[in-house]
Amino acid sequence: MSAIWYYVFTLVFFLFDYFILAMGLNIQYGETGILNFAYIGFVAFGAYVTGVVSMPPAGTSGQHYILGLNLPFPINLLIGGLAASALAFVVALITLRRLRTDYLAMVLISISLVLYDISNNFVPLFNGADGLYNVPEPFASVFKLTVNSFVPFFAGVAGVIALIMWAVMSRITRSPLGRTFRAIRDDPGVAAALGKGVFRYQLTSMLIGSFYAGVGGGLIIQFGGSFNPSAWLPGETFVIFAVIIVGGVGNNIGLIVGALLVETLLVHLPAFLPAIPGHPQLIQYIDAMLIGVLLMVMLWFRPQGMVPERLRKSKFLLPDMATPSGAKVLPSMSTAATAAEAPNAEPAHSIDEEDAR
Amino acid sequence: MTPRAKAHPVLDVTSDPILRVENITKSFLGVNALNGATFDVPKNKITALIGPNGAGKTTLVNILSGAMKSDSGKTYLGSVDVTNWESYKIARLGLMRTFQLSRELGGLTVLENLLVAPKVQAGESLVNIFFRPRLLRREERQNVERATEILATYGLYELRDNRARELSGGQKKLLEISRGVMAAPTIFLLDEPMAGVNPALIERIGGYILDMKSQGMTVLMVEHNLNVVEKICDFVIVLAEGRTLATGRLSELRANKEVVQAYLGEVISASTTN
Repeated sequence: MSAIWYYVFTLVFFLFDYFILAMGLNIQYGETGILNFAYIGFVAFGAYVTGVVSMPPAGTSGQHYILGLNLPFPINLLIGGLAASALAFVVALITLRRLRTDYLAMVLISISLVLYDISNNFVPLFNGADGLYNVPEPFASVFKLTVNSFVPFFAGVAGVIALIMWAVMSRITRSPLGRTFRAIRDDPGVAAALGKGVFRYQLTSMLIGSFYAGVGGGLIIQFGGSFNPSAWLPGETFVIFAVIIVGGVGNNIGLIVGALLVETLLVHLPAFLPAIPGHPQLIQYIDAMLIGVLLMVMLWFRPQGMVPERLRKSKFLLPDMATPSGAKVLPSMSTAATAAEAPNAEPAHSIDEEDAR
Repeated sequence: MTPRAKAHPVLDVTSDPILRVENITKSFLGVNALNGATFDVPKNKITALIGPNGAGKTTLVNILSGAMKSDSGKTYLGSVDVTNWESYKIARLGLMRTFQLSRELGGLTVLENLLVAPKVQAGESLVNIFFRPRLLRREERQNVERATEILATYGLYELRDNRARELSGGQKKLLEISRGVMAAPTIFLLDEPMAGVNPALIERIGGYILDMKSQGMTVLMVEHNLNVVEKICDFVIVLAEGRTLATGRLSELRANKEVVQAYLGEVISASTTN
């Protein structure tokens, strides 16, 4: 396989992976209104856990890490997702009950920094700043995959997983649960006044979204075979925010458009360009600036994103909906009051009469 | 009472009074908004809560609905002590409210605003979403049918697919009231349902409130329009300086010197000047 195809399939892999990551952040932010600035922390935690459960016990590899269970793909990926959800559970218990909007965002970004520092400095956990390497490539021995054939193969695997996760997410966002999430996003006070336990639903949304974060992170470590803390600086969260804002907050289809524009075209494609002589980091810096500019342009001119959130119209909710037949025609206040005062008057509001109608 | 029953109390809808307020106090930075308000709200009647601006009416509605916590005092729904419960628990027990300034769920359609309202929905459980699709479809159909009937009654059916934030002020008032009705509450608190509304719509909203009573609901409404209070309310509670000044029928209260001095006089002189 020529080098160009290697790059193309690498881009395809990251497109699918960021689609999964964007779906996870979207259910938290786009659907439920939780400004999760610690999102990349859950991605990284899922990646690390996927890595360590699929690696052999630590003593044999010269690295320091916990677990080392030799678990096969996709069980390791599932565990990575669940581990990210478990972390989200703890974080949500600490933050969501008491904090809202900006304060919640500030605490979450601090948590992101704490997680980063722990993983970067506490060597026994995930090997500290060296990160993990030699993570086994899934199916490589089963299908006798080479370095070159593994890339398109795993891009395909990521595509299938992304498709399954998109189907699951669509089912959730279209359900009454998704509607309640959006009600909480629009006004948590009103949702609570309608009997919705806001914390419970926000927690559910955090758990679902973080599972997606963990799976997305797990796929990255399986694809690259290594992972180190520099890949998940807290600022990386904002790239995923850019994906959903550019694509369309609250729209699962928009997310793949956002992933294509931001992640594939702006983040990963320029990474393959040859460095400008004398300025090795310049492309990377221009890249970061372009994402910032794109984000501002979108927020100014098209805040709803490339593919805006779809209005859930009544036909979509109930395809064979008929014009209501049981609607009541109610007398106005004065008519009703006059009728009630008149001697021997018929009751202004007879339920039997309304039923007959 | 077993611990389980304590965790999930049920409102006895036959209780009369259905709502009891005892010595509620609330202060904001040393300013007393409520100063021992005490009253009963009779079952299946329309009760007006009136009083001058700053009397503590909206604070009281916020406390009764759980949006705010009182400093002291007790509130009971039927025989259940709901003092300082969280708002969603009070709603689940059967108390709904509207807000002084309409608060629609702006990104949702008008129909969806009503569909959120049923308190317990099978479709809000992840397990049911994936493993009981038939139950979900049946429940959704029932809810959509009921919601469209309510929308048609409230004159909002044609707007069912509009985003709620696109509605006019009056339409938002109607949406908020119809959303509460969709939740089928036992007691409905309306915070100035007629404020900023044109006379024709006042007539209609008055009709809707009378209909709520005919359906068995108890209504407690904060209202300044005495014409409306006179026409539809069975019982009036006068609040002044955070205390209950008097209770009774409006005709009786007109003869009460304290009430006239604190509130009615003010309203009557304002209407004479206008």
